[in-house]
Amino acid sequence: MFKNLKVSFFLACKSIKRGNIGTTILTVMIMSLIFVNLIFLPSIVNGIGETIIQQSIDTIYGNIVIEPKENNLYIDNVDNIQKKLNKLPGVVGTSARYVTGATFTHKSKFVSGAVHSMNPTDEEAVTIFHKGLIAGEYLSKEDTDEILLGVEITGKEGVEGEEADLGGVTVGDKITITFSNGVIRAYRLKGIFDISVMSINSYAFITEKEMESVLGLENKASEILVTLSQRGSEEEFKKKFIELGISENIKTWQEKLVGVMESILGSFSLITFISTIISLIMAVVVIFIIIYINTVNKRKQIGILKAIGINQKVIIHSYVMQALFYCFSGIVIGSILLWFLVSYMAANPISFPMGDVSPLIEQQLIVTSIVSLIIVSLVAGFIPSWKTARENILKAIWG
Amino acid sequence: MGLKMIIVKNLKRTYVMGKVEVHALKGVSVNIEKGEFVGIMGPSGSGKSTLLHQLGLLDTPTSGEIMIAGVDVIGLSEHEKTIFRLNQLGYVFQEYAILPELTAVENVYLPSMMIGKKRELYLKTSIDILETVGLGERLYHRPHELSGGEQQRVAVARALVNKPKILFADEPCANLDTESSKHILELFRKLNEELGQTILMVSHEEWHKKYVDRIIYLKDGLIEKM
Ligand SMILES: Nc1ncnc2c1ncn2[C@@H]1O[C@H](COP(=O)(O)OP(=O)(O)OP(=O)(O)O)[C@@H](O)[C@H]1O
Ligand SMILES: [Mg+2]
Repeated sequence: MFKNLKVSFFLACKSIKRGNIGTTILTVMIMSLIFVNLIFLPSIVNGIGETIIQQSIDTIYGNIVIEPKENNLYIDNVDNIQKKLNKLPGVVGTSARYVTGATFTHKSKFVSGAVHSMNPTDEEAVTIFHKGLIAGEYLSKEDTDEILLGVEITGKEGVEGEEADLGGVTVGDKITITFSNGVIRAYRLKGIFDISVMSINSYAFITEKEMESVLGLENKASEILVTLSQRGSEEEFKKKFIELGISENIKTWQEKLVGVMESILGSFSLITFISTIISLIMAVVVIFIIIYINTVNKRKQIGILKAIGINQKVIIHSYVMQALFYCFSGIVIGSILLWFLVSYMAANPISFPMGDVSPLIEQQLIVTSIVSLIIVSLVAGFIPSWKTARENILKAIWG
Repeated sequence: MGLKMIIVKNLKRTYVMGKVEVHALKGVSVNIEKGEFVGIMGPSGSGKSTLLHQLGLLDTPTSGEIMIAGVDVIGLSEHEKTIFRLNQLGYVFQEYAILPELTAVENVYLPSMMIGKKRELYLKTSIDILETVGLGERLYHRPHELSGGEQQRVAVARALVNKPKILFADEPCANLDTESSKHILELFRKLNEELGQTILMVSHEEWHKKYVDRIIYLKDGLIEKM
């Protein structure tokens, strides 16, 4: 068995080394592009998923979000809960927010939406709004008549959007808010943020102190966002929270995003599936044609090999090895191409409505791509060489 | 008398082409002894190549018996035949049937590699044989860098590398000039005399007669005279 493989390997090596270099280079190039294609599109889709997840964690949910018990409007005893959570090693920060419906008015323009409250220092540890300021300043703890608005609400001057916005208000402008409980107050626009995600850019923030005075509440919250030092341990922390006696509704980002991710990524999965199948069929066709032409051209040589006593299997294996050579070289070159492509795109992400996306290559994807390409090459190398090698010796040599 | 190397009894080979049957061999019986250098002659289409192919296990006869070195080779499976050809038989074809992607020495040692000999061993044997056939200076040449006669000598060297019991040659000089032909025939003669190599050679040329021990004349698929 081993000596047979040795002869196959010997024949395959010589055939590649002394065969047509142009054909070899071309085949390896095509295989490498097929490999890139197998990895690239799914990794863009992964990248989109990753962007949605990261943006959601960074703005809407944190790693874990605590919501009021069923049939309750607010979480009670918030200070106490926050204190407990902040003591846990691995918890980076917590931020308690009130959320209430509101209508924003400036001159004749108005926008309906929601207003969130924040404790600025707490919020800074949990979300990225402070990093997204494009004008003005962030809120301070004691601010009462100041407001922070997303760029989707303020609108941009001179740009008449289809969407409702305030038509390009700028820092310093007076914004009137009608809260859902009927309270009406005026605020000075202190800062505008833009963090590339449309829905997040229609957030509005006032301070916790101000919100409590509007709502007439104290030490309550609509939600508490918790940020962990590491993604992936959410379930574990959820258990710890319950052990700490927190009886509120505890949701990890995974639980929050399941529906969204499925609906967004589900539509992509058919596209990636089709692209994968087409890539693999291309690989089959390329390898099949190359090996087929090779064996047909060498029909007579194959006959001679058999005549002098070289086992048919040895001959077939030598062609399968050539197919594997094309396959492995393609994978290596393809990996190098991918590396350049991914490095480039990491530095220059594509802008999607859900944020900036760069490809995210998962190990699982690499393994499946390599394995499927190898299987495809084995099959496509085997069939034509098997067909030629089992031909009658005399026919092969003398037509 | 010497040992019987080949015993052939009533060998027939009929090719069926659609509705037409071609009786290439119509019942050939012949014995060949160990160490003989036998020529096979006869007009074109008389069945010379067909006979050689049956004896060389490259084709399966329609009926009849063939014993080679005491083995009933008709009964062997395809796989066993391949092994038998590798270990016991050597071939030189009319065209220089050597592999273009291998050098002279690689062409020669391939069958030896296939039977699992050690590299140092088959390399040395192959170089020795190539020197014997006068190609000691051409070891690392590829076929396209060799003349027709040289290529045919590589083929002879390859046929001999596993020390076959029988060397089959089907018009080995058909594509060679007289000078190269003589070279090959003298080589055969030498191998036969010095090593006792059994050789079966198909030939057309009258002047080849003087190199062989005896001649089997075929005509219309039958032995005309021996
Ligand atoms: N594969 C085949 N199919 C059908 N008929 C064949 C086949 N091979 C040989 N024949 C026929 O068998 C007969 C003997 O052929 P063979 O090749 O043995 O002749 P030969 O004596 O070697 O002739 P030459 O001197 O021309 O080489 C011929 O009539 C030939 O046409
Ligand atoms: Mg012939």
